[in-house]
Amino acid sequence: MSAKGYFGGFGGFYVPEVLVASLKELEREYQRISRTAEFEAELQSMLKDYAGRPTPLYYARSLSDRVGGARIFLKREDLAHTGSHKINNAIGQALLAKRMGRSRVICETGAGQHGVATATACALLDLECEVYMGETDVERQRLNCYRMNLLGAKINVVKSGSRTLKDSINEAMRDYAATSEDTHYLLGSIVGPHPYPTIVRDFQSVIGVETKEQMARMTGGLPDALVACVGGGSNSIGLFHPFIDDEQVQMFGAEAAGDGIETGKHCASVVVGEEGVLHGSRTLILQDDDGQVSETSSVAAGLDYPAVGPEHAHLSTSNRAKYFGVTDQEAVLAFHLLSEAEGIIPALESAHAIHLATKIAREFSKDQSIVVCLSGRGDKDVAQIAKLEGRL
Amino acid sequence: MSRIAATFERLAESEEGAYIPYVCCGDRGVGFTGELVRRLSRAGADVIELGLPFSDPMADGPTIQAAMVRSLSSGFRVAKLFDLISQARSDGVDTPIVVMTYYNPILRMGLDTFCKRLAEAGADGILPVDLPVEESGDLERIASAHELDVIRLVSPTTDDERMAQILQSANGFVYAVSISGVTGQRDSLPHSAIALLKRLREKSGLPVALGFGISNQEQVRQAMAAGASGVVEGSALINIYARGLGDEDGALDLVEEHARGMKDSARAARQRPG
Repeated sequence: MSAKGYFGGFGGFYVPEVLVASLKELEREYQRISRTAEFEAELQSMLKDYAGRPTPLYYARSLSDRVGGARIFLKREDLAHTGSHKINNAIGQALLAKRMGRSRVICETGAGQHGVATATACALLDLECEVYMGETDVERQRLNCYRMNLLGAKINVVKSGSRTLKDSINEAMRDYAATSEDTHYLLGSIVGPHPYPTIVRDFQSVIGVETKEQMARMTGGLPDALVACVGGGSNSIGLFHPFIDDEQVQMFGAEAAGDGIETGKHCASVVVGEEGVLHGSRTLILQDDDGQVSETSSVAAGLDYPAVGPEHAHLSTSNRAKYFGVTDQEAVLAFHLLSEAEGIIPALESAHAIHLATKIAREFSKDQSIVVCLSGRGDKDVAQIAKLEGRL
Repeated sequence: MSRIAATFERLAESEEGAYIPYVCCGDRGVGFTGELVRRLSRAGADVIELGLPFSDPMADGPTIQAAMVRSLSSGFRVAKLFDLISQARSDGVDTPIVVMTYYNPILRMGLDTFCKRLAEAGADGILPVDLPVEESGDLERIASAHELDVIRLVSPTTDDERMAQILQSANGFVYAVSISGVTGQRDSLPHSAIALLKRLREKSGLPVALGFGISNQEQVRQAMAAGASGVVEGSALINIYARGLGDEDGALDLVEEHARGMKDSARAARQRPG
């Protein structure tokens, strides 16, 4: 990565002038604080004692047998505190905010997982917390809204644009532009302007670092492939990044193909997006001929985003990682499959990765192994699926 | 000399302040925007900023966001921006026109095509809202080849070193953002605006226009007294014509009358002794 926050030709710093000073300060402070032994020790102790790390790497024998093909391992981020990988970054950035002397934290959320993780870290560290959440997402994730309220966070319902994640990011940026003196914007994915894609990736890389150690212990080597779902791309980059230089490890990203790529109702920005600038970053975006950002659709609120982190755009165009669309229907089938085969109810986001992993596993042999990032648990989605299937 | 530079030179000679209204293209229809441009020019606007609607206007407050949503949902296309400018020019509007836009629509069309079409249509400058000086090398080079001024934004949080860097590549005029935050009507001029104008005056010979939150003649007087060469007004104009909806001519009359008052204040403010 270059000094300006580029990953190949993607990334950078495309923001209004009012945001420049705050982002430069954040970059400076992050470099200074995150390298101190004291910060590292505090972070490690909180990840271990509070968030429950390391999360297990679990050999899903029953799922592997049903699929036939490679052995499938699940990196159990669903077992981390708050039920998803989002806590890794939330704790890291909340600690950073505290050390930067900020008293207030704002964030955006789609599925609500990042909002819950941020509200949790703020409750723990005694930081005021406000969450921007699109009206559409509030309606489909009521349980997470209540969780955030329980944790003492205030939810600001976003009614602009498509009323989903992308609009929540716009609103959080607007808030940050006016309040950065006492406020930290705790962005939840590897999107946005520099330094966010780097900060979030660094805090999520614990997923891949642990996986590498655990695989070595369990199988004596590296996995043959990694699979993770990609919305903005934080759990996937967390898993992928420590393996980027291990060229024999293939990487696969599962994007949400919604009703099907051909219907236009999806959010597969790597698969069919084109280069552009959104939320401060040059990356792959779903957009029309005029450069207006497209409305997106997915059964999984956490993947419902029209762009992708710039590092994934780079991994894709440089052919280091491959990305495939998984439809709503395929994700729901995988949601059932994992629940029945392993007694693990995955988040709908993670179910996209499970589906892709089963497809890939069939093409691999039995002596090969695949690690899937099970980024979150599915409790939040149970009501939605029950309703979808007419059982509620 | 560019049309923008010539305008500010003329204003400096006659010791007048500049009045720069912002119009969101396609809000209430492209025809309405065209009529607004003609009326604002007639009312004495010194530069007109044409805002290109974008789906994700991160730097804009609720009023301009809503105007952009109305424009886009009624089918506004980027091509209509060029038509609008051409039409204004053939209608005899000779006020300098600056296009204020987010970067993605420019990038999508291609920097060269976008700038070429703007220049051919008769625009004078381009103001990229989300393109800081670090990322703007390509646009500067291409805009300059098409003789378009690139207008730069400076904010209260821009430090001295950065301000020098921005001013080095600025032309036309400098747009001083009055407050750390987004666009939107505010009643008074924040202290941050006064302080920023003082710093800019010390550092730059370029004309300085103050924007974000401008809506009344008292603010114009305060801005001029603090060293501004002019003011930019956007959200307030949208709020004014929103009041007159249902009667398009009435709405346009309200805007024109308001603009005349703002221009009168800008004119008078600089003529006061001291």
